[in-house]
Amino acid sequence: MAAPETLTPAIHARGKVVGRSLLMRIAELRAWLFLILLLIFFETWARVAYDASFVLNTYNLQSISVFATAPLLLALGQTFVIISAGIDLSLGFVMGLASVIAAHAANFAAVQLGLPAPIAMLAGLAAGVAVTIIPGLVNGGLIAHLKVPPFIGTLGMYGVARGAAYLFAGGMTISVSNDWYSAIGNNRVLGIPVLVILTVIACVVMHYMLSQTRFGQHTYAMGASQAAARRAGINTKKLTMKIYFLSAIMAGVGGVLYTGRFSAGAAQAGEPLLLDSIAAVVIGGASLFGGSGTIWGTVAGSLVIAVIQYGLVFIDVEPFWQFVAVGTVIIISVLVDQTQRRFMGGRTVE
Amino acid sequence: MERRSFVKLLGASGVAAASMPMLAGKASAADKVTIALIPGLTADGFYVTMHKGAEAAAKAVGAKLIYQGAAEWNVSLQVPVLEAVIAKAPKAILIAPTDKQQLIQPLKKANDAGISVICVDTFIGNGVFQTGAGDADFPIAYVASDNVLGGRMAARALAKAIGEKGKVYVSNVKPGVSTTDQREEGFKDEMKNYSGISVLETQFNDDDANKAAAQFQAVLGRTPDLAGVFGANLFSAGGTANGAKQAGVTGKVKLAGFDAPESIVPQLKDGTFELTIAQHPAEIGYFGFMSAYAHVTGNPVPTAIGTGFTVMTGANIDDPNVSKYLYKSS
Repeated sequence: MAAPETLTPAIHARGKVVGRSLLMRIAELRAWLFLILLLIFFETWARVAYDASFVLNTYNLQSISVFATAPLLLALGQTFVIISAGIDLSLGFVMGLASVIAAHAANFAAVQLGLPAPIAMLAGLAAGVAVTIIPGLVNGGLIAHLKVPPFIGTLGMYGVARGAAYLFAGGMTISVSNDWYSAIGNNRVLGIPVLVILTVIACVVMHYMLSQTRFGQHTYAMGASQAAARRAGINTKKLTMKIYFLSAIMAGVGGVLYTGRFSAGAAQAGEPLLLDSIAAVVIGGASLFGGSGTIWGTVAGSLVIAVIQYGLVFIDVEPFWQFVAVGTVIIISVLVDQTQRRFMGGRTVE
Repeated sequence: MERRSFVKLLGASGVAAASMPMLAGKASAADKVTIALIPGLTADGFYVTMHKGAEAAAKAVGAKLIYQGAAEWNVSLQVPVLEAVIAKAPKAILIAPTDKQQLIQPLKKANDAGISVICVDTFIGNGVFQTGAGDADFPIAYVASDNVLGGRMAARALAKAIGEKGKVYVSNVKPGVSTTDQREEGFKDEMKNYSGISVLETQFNDDDANKAAAQFQAVLGRTPDLAGVFGANLFSAGGTANGAKQAGVTGKVKLAGFDAPESIVPQLKDGTFELTIAQHPAEIGYFGFMSAYAHVTGNPVPTAIGTGFTVMTGANIDDPNVSKYLYKSS
């Protein structure tokens, strides 16, 4: 096995890496800047129209942060996948599958086995996350070993996970009555929703994995050039497996938390979130061509989407403008990204 | 009147069913009348329950039921299913068409092949059949809930719950879906009768509970005196309820839901929902199947059958006459 020090200059040549990381830093900052502009816009509007503050309002901040957690949990895993120049379309229904299984497991533990609520909750959490190992490994196997393009492989899994989730749910939503489980999705600690605390922890862990570990660095390298990464001694098959495994697990975490929040497992829980999760990663400065992106950029991207959607309702704008607004932001982000890359010598679409 | 003659007919077929067992030994399965049911989508408690109603009817008259549908609400997925079912040559097809216009030609094909068509839940054309007018009047009957009425019932019950004054809004899926559009229309129209109630802009959530929750919180943020919300379908209602929970106003802002999966029971009891409007999908399936059976066995059938609604509240949900309308998966 190649130690990181022995990697060829293609990966560790500081010049190139510095160039790319500077580009990423700017892209990430851009997303935060965008978020600040949006907040200023809504703040001004709220002051003028309602004589109220939009930002200095604990209620709004709590609502927006909870709103952002669901797509963000999917987007965290998706960030790794997109940096590796892949895409995971199955995440929405992997999340739904986890949600349904968690609901069944929590009910089974409480009703059939007569276990106390906290244990039943843990059973639900564990089973829901555990079931996502299967789609994660299958996705990874298809893409790494059988050379199926990520778009097709995960689209297939999208169907399989969806069917499985609906089958397990019998076409219904599976209700869970467990106060402990519900508390995870709805309670607050020192005014901060538990969901938000858990999501922040997930962000910190994911950030560490992406920026500080060999796994993260190899993900960037493979996304920039799979051939170069392989020549540099990176086991790209194993790495690909790990990346899709991680993204499925994160979708599983999203799914089990959904079940707690809504006291129900639903197969379609993550369906509408998938595209938002991809949009969040892209707005956050990642390139769909791979090799760039950061966790904090993705966090900003998720907040941008949540703030737009929440803010437009808050200031009472006609609902259909929400779609226009989010779409416009994605287009602007990608345009700015392309322009920047051209100036800084990065890869652009030809 | 229509309904009464129909009930008589049911009685007659019940007698026929009772005499069936004696013949059953001789009659092979091939002699059974076969009727197909194609739902709008299979993965939905509403249609699952409708299927059970149709199954009960099939059992009662000793006919055969084919149940086939697409996983999602989509014309291009439903039509191939329809074509496959036509190939099996059932006597009649009960279908919840996924589009008013686009399903006309495919269903006409079935009609031309001598298969009787009955619309359940949704319709083609304008939903008025056997008039001799237009190209979409060939279905034998339309059996469904009157969704405008359902919206009106939600409005009346919600108005009562909030003391006939305050601000309310509708949380809806997306525009262009006939049933949820009608519920919203009925709700808004009925609310005009209450001078103390103002209806705010409708919020569309794309069937995303997370978005419905955030929208509730945003509306509440700007309208602290919000009195009530009507969630026009399951996810709109469920998401809104979570928004209220997150905002700590459960029970204070009254929520009216639509549809009645079993999971609604604890939520009615703990005040998460003030009320929900239950449709009677099993009734739609039962009466739809019976209409088809009556028609193919040479009996007259009314061209429109409206099935009812039940207003469920925390106070009445333990009444078996109310709880029997919960949608069941098994």
